[in-house]
Amino acid sequence: MAGVISARAISKSYGDRKAVDGLDLAVEGGAFFGFLGPNGAGKTTTIRMLTGVLRPDSGTITIDGHDSRDRQHIASVIGVVPESRGFYDWMSGEEYLDFFAALYRIGDRARAVRQLLADVGLADRGGTAIGTYSRGMKQRLGLARALVNSPRVLFLDEPTLGLDPQGQEDVQQLLKRLNEGGVTVFYSSHLLHEVAHLCSVIAVINRGRLAAVGTLAELQRQTDSEDLRDIFMALTND
Amino acid sequence: MYRFIWLKDLKAAVHTWKGLVWLLVTALIFSAASYLFLTNRELSLLDQTEMLWLLGKVIIGAALLVTVIDASSLITAEFENETIESLLLSPLSLGGLVLGKLLAALTTWLVVYAAAAPYMVVTAAGSRLTGAFLVYVGLFGTLAVLGFTLLVLAVSFFYRSLRNTLTTSLVILLALALPALFSPVLKTSTLARIAGVANPLDSIFAGLDNVLVDYHTGLAANLGFLVPVLVFCVLALGFLMLSVRAFQRRGIAKD
Repeated sequence: MAGVISARAISKSYGDRKAVDGLDLAVEGGAFFGFLGPNGAGKTTTIRMLTGVLRPDSGTITIDGHDSRDRQHIASVIGVVPESRGFYDWMSGEEYLDFFAALYRIGDRARAVRQLLADVGLADRGGTAIGTYSRGMKQRLGLARALVNSPRVLFLDEPTLGLDPQGQEDVQQLLKRLNEGGVTVFYSSHLLHEVAHLCSVIAVINRGRLAAVGTLAELQRQTDSEDLRDIFMALTND
Repeated sequence: MYRFIWLKDLKAAVHTWKGLVWLLVTALIFSAASYLFLTNRELSLLDQTEMLWLLGKVIIGAALLVTVIDASSLITAEFENETIESLLLSPLSLGGLVLGKLLAALTTWLVVYAAAAPYMVVTAAGSRLTGAFLVYVGLFGTLAVLGFTLLVLAVSFFYRSLRNTLTTSLVILLALALPALFSPVLKTSTLARIAGVANPLDSIFAGLDNVLVDYHTGLAANLGFLVPVLVFCVLALGFLMLSVRAFQRRGIAKD
């Protein structure tokens, strides 16, 4: 598989401010792709454009060979943990996943929901109202929702934010398993050690432009730095 | 897929007690109005048909108030609670989302109408207008609720905030309901007549008057009163389509 995610010269402005400026990205099938950048660099805007909920002002995006405007197809192949993390607090975790499983027309919904809750470690709290969940539990539920359609491409915007170390480890293990099973992972995070540990390819954006992309070894050579933190600083310090 | 959005919003109304509160409030309004019409010394002197006309206005007015308040939160809550992005990421189309929300609002009207039905039957007893009263309040009420819901949903996509949507929608409802408060003399002026023809609420109240006071119960005799309401629904649908298209262009992030 090659070029599962492809963005050519995509731009997006909010008023006079250019959030993303002529960005090119190519992510190969099966990659664990790290996406880094300082606050306001355009990471979330880029993810929203790639996942089809925001139209770029210019440029083209294809996911799994389909234009990102083909919402029905894109929705069927991607799973997303977005930056916005709203839930229906009055629903139980089971009801929430069942609702999304219905939207995705999943066949045996009850079995799928049970499996998803077990995968993210919420099997014993599935019947409880989401309003009573901790932040970390909501993060896990959001991840379960992203997996409801067994996606081939997974977009994650700060998926371990708010999780305790054990929770972070559990999510990392789950993502590794998914990636080993062939799922392409597009992973945006501020936790550099996580990115260094998990990602096979890392891209760094700054002010809406691609600052560098490559394996950790390539970025080390390019910036003459050893640590990913130093690489990040070298690429984003203007 | 609109079915799942519709069911979700119905469940939410039950879980959050919102539905029960609306039912209680409207039942109290209908009880108070019926009690006044039947027992107040001055109001009880009203001709029964006049009383039915007033009760019909109260039912449709209360239903529209409930609709505007309830529908204002249907879309805006998805924005304010940050649940809209997950919905947009699913295979659900925007049309499916809107249809599900529309059906949820119409279900609320159905519940209000069901709560009003016993009051209509009791107050119309012996008048031989019970059937016409039930049919025309149902018909005019459904069209009015449909038009206002479409309008509120359009405003919701435009503002994405409950406060702004609710304020704007209530102002529109108030502006359209205002002529109903004019004295009969004021209504005979040319300007008031022109405004009356274009105003869906005025047409509804005049239509009820035509059915209940003037005994013109046939559909053909009331088409002239239905047309402005239908035009209002079509205009509101057009506004909603424009608003949804603008939302699609702008995307989830506000400029």
